[in-house]
Amino acid sequence: MAASLMFRRINVALANLERTLVELLNPRGPPPDAFCLVGVEGYRVSGNEPKPFSIKDIIGDGLLWAVPKHRRSLEKRLKRKFGDPEYVNKLILPKTTLRVCNTCGDDHEVGVLCPTCYKKVIEETKLMQDKIQEELKLEPVETEVVVLYNGEKDDKPSEFWQGKRIVEMEKERPSWFSKNLTQQTTQQPATTSDVKPSQLG
Amino acid sequence: MNQADVSKLVSQLRIKVNPRLRKFRNPGGPEERLNKLRKTVTALIKHERIELNYPRADEARMYAERLISDAIRYGDCHKTTMEMADYWLTEKQLVHKLFKVLAPRYQNYNVSFSRLYKAPRPYPGDKNLKAVLELRGNPFPSVTPDTQSNRNLIHNVLLDEAKKEYRQKKYEEIASKIEMEAEKMKTTDAATKETSV
Repeated sequence: MAASLMFRRINVALANLERTLVELLNPRGPPPDAFCLVGVEGYRVSGNEPKPFSIKDIIGDGLLWAVPKHRRSLEKRLKRKFGDPEYVNKLILPKTTLRVCNTCGDDHEVGVLCPTCYKKVIEETKLMQDKIQEELKLEPVETEVVVLYNGEKDDKPSEFWQGKRIVEMEKERPSWFSKNLTQQTTQQPATTSDVKPSQLG
Repeated sequence: MNQADVSKLVSQLRIKVNPRLRKFRNPGGPEERLNKLRKTVTALIKHERIELNYPRADEARMYAERLISDAIRYGDCHKTTMEMADYWLTEKQLVHKLFKVLAPRYQNYNVSFSRLYKAPRPYPGDKNLKAVLELRGNPFPSVTPDTQSNRNLIHNVLLDEAKKEYRQKKYEEIASKIEMEAEKMKTTDAATKETSV
């Protein structure tokens, strides 16, 4: 007990001495540092401090691109967006070159065959071509070819088809394929073997 | 001037001949271009109707027309023409066809021997123009629609309606005539009955 009382008295005496020394050295100055909140510094937890800012945290391993230096003018932006009607037009314009087929009612471009009518015709054409090639083989082609459908060969006498190579399709004639075509191609075989002379003026 | 008319020295074609020939993509050189066209011309003479890319069709058409024209003009005893036919037709059975079938067929034609159409393309799809090249007088159905007998044309529709109206009038007349006769018969029958009674 006596020892602690002694220590306290010494402590107080030292504090008094310090105060008097400060008053002597700095009579009109602000209160000494001892009155500031110096002790707060000691309570902070280490590691919670904010890190100093670094550009590396943002880009990491990547790299930084260049950025536009000048403003792109409005004319240039519009031209790039919509193109030019004279050169490269980027606007979607309605087509005015479409017409309706008079036969089937399908749409087609002007000057171009109607797709549905053409498909029908070309399918039949391919069948006929295959049949003709099957019939002709590799022999020299010396006569016109007539394509007949089911039951058409017996309609006319055999003299009618004289000088013609008859190819028969094993099916009925399509309703849209006119029969008159066969009549157009008929012609008499040549009776003379004369060669036409060259006609110089 | 005792000089041949130059315009009659070469075959006059009835198609437009391009002033500048197309080059095409031919890594094998100019000979390759002609080989390509030979294939097309042979196919045209063989099948009479082919479908292909437009530029090639237009180019091959000129050679085919010239070949047929020469065949008509000089015949099969002309050495140069025969050599040309031998060159252009890679399948030799078609040389016979050229002189024996096509030359007589086109002898009296005053129009071109072939026709070139623009073929439809699927949309959306390949934007390259396609063509149908065919010889005239072929046995296949026509690719162009029959415009003469189109029932949907306005004058045909009007004529049809007029025909219908005329027929209806006639039927009414006939019906009224029959009725009149029937009535007459009835009255005469009644009169004869009365007289007999």
